[in-house]
Amino acid sequence: MTIKICIGSSCHLKGSYAVVSRLQALVEEKNLSDKITFASKFCMGKCAEGVCVSIDEENFEHINADNVDNFFETEVVTRL
Amino acid sequence: MNNLWTETGYISLNKTGEQLCGDRVEVTGGGESNRTTLVLADGLGSGVKANILSTLTSKILCTMISGGMSIESCVETIAETLPVCSVRKVAYSTFSIISISDNEIAELIQFDNPEIVVLRNGVRYNYPYTTRKIAGKTIHESRFPVEENDVFIAMSDGATYAGVGHRLSHGWQRENIIDFAEANYLPENSAKYIAGTIIDECNRLYEGEPGDDTTVAVVRICARHPVNLVIGPPATKDQDIKMMNLFFAKEGAKIICGGTTATMAARYLRRDLKPTLQYFDPEVPPISLLDGVDLVTEGVITIARVLKYAEDYLDGTDLSASWTTKKDAAALIACELFEKATDINFFVGRAVNPAHQDPDMPITFGIKIQLIESLAKCLERMGKQIKVSYF
Repeated sequence: MTIKICIGSSCHLKGSYAVVSRLQALVEEKNLSDKITFASKFCMGKCAEGVCVSIDEENFEHINADNVDNFFETEVVTRL
Repeated sequence: MNNLWTETGYISLNKTGEQLCGDRVEVTGGGESNRTTLVLADGLGSGVKANILSTLTSKILCTMISGGMSIESCVETIAETLPVCSVRKVAYSTFSIISISDNEIAELIQFDNPEIVVLRNGVRYNYPYTTRKIAGKTIHESRFPVEENDVFIAMSDGATYAGVGHRLSHGWQRENIIDFAEANYLPENSAKYIAGTIIDECNRLYEGEPGDDTTVAVVRICARHPVNLVIGPPATKDQDIKMMNLFFAKEGAKIICGGTTATMAARYLRRDLKPTLQYFDPEVPPISLLDGVDLVTEGVITIARVLKYAEDYLDGTDLSASWTTKKDAAALIACELFEKATDINFFVGRAVNPAHQDPDMPITFGIKIQLIESLAKCLERMGKQIKVSYF
């Protein structure tokens, strides 16, 4: 599974770094490094709805530091 | 004209407790101009009086020498102009002049400052000089052809006095300063960087409390190094190819700022753009990789940081030039633009990013243009040749 996080200007300002570091920490914690790879991607044109994240080819919006844990549980773990 | 470039940089430390520096550096020309003249003057005493003497001396000398006047008339003018000190009954300011014509011939004129140090390919070069008396002052004069990588280091006696009474009983002698400059020499070090390393060492020897005004001024001859930076796609799509054609046709390093612009360039080159996810600084988005381009970064946030680095560097609030050791995208751009570049071409696209028209977003179209204009001004102050083209 590949998780891509937008690193465009808008998403960056909305907290890409916080989302990336939290997701990486969660993957580390749960020993999922061999199942999940991280990558970045550029603006998908949904800046108002950032931070934009995709799991494989599926897009998710409005991810932020507050809901990233929940996102990980409901969207990432369930797809493994 | 040849393919060489003259670059200058200088830094002063004030004597402890003084608000004004008694040393003064004046520069005219620079870059590809026919004549670059740098004058370092050290006024008698310290504080206001010294500051006035050195300001007058450096300004008069710089204007007259760059105007092609003879050294005799320059020295006579100074002797007649400087106010006489009521305590010491003399009008006195020592000076060092480095004048480079057509990036080909160096002329050194020196009066009573520590002798100018010349490094040729990083090793001391013992240049010839003649001595003569003008208006009662003993003046050393030299004239010789320059070569690529020549470094001229002028200093006030505060530098050679560094460490007296602290770490070194006889001060930091000229020989030691030459050894230090040779040991720290790298061909890519800029004039300002060289001046900075020597000043840092002086400050260390003085244990942070300089006993005299201390100034180091450096003139460096280097090969021209053009850098091209593109930010933002053009206002209308039909200009995309034209902008990319012009950008990639230019000689020199290539920097692309902005995700949309990078995507456009990748399409133009028919190569894959690979974004990375490594943060060296949480506030600066990571770089991307694109074959045939030296550096690909995010746009406005990164450039705003580059501008901050530039302003701090010029203000002297960032003496150590923190960007030289950092690895974030903005520091990489700063290194390329401040340290290496001689000529910088900005290609600025006026496209309005529809994604940035969110009222909650602090990014607007105007910010990009303002950032580039401010950055261009800073780079001009660093002596770079700047060209900004809008699309």
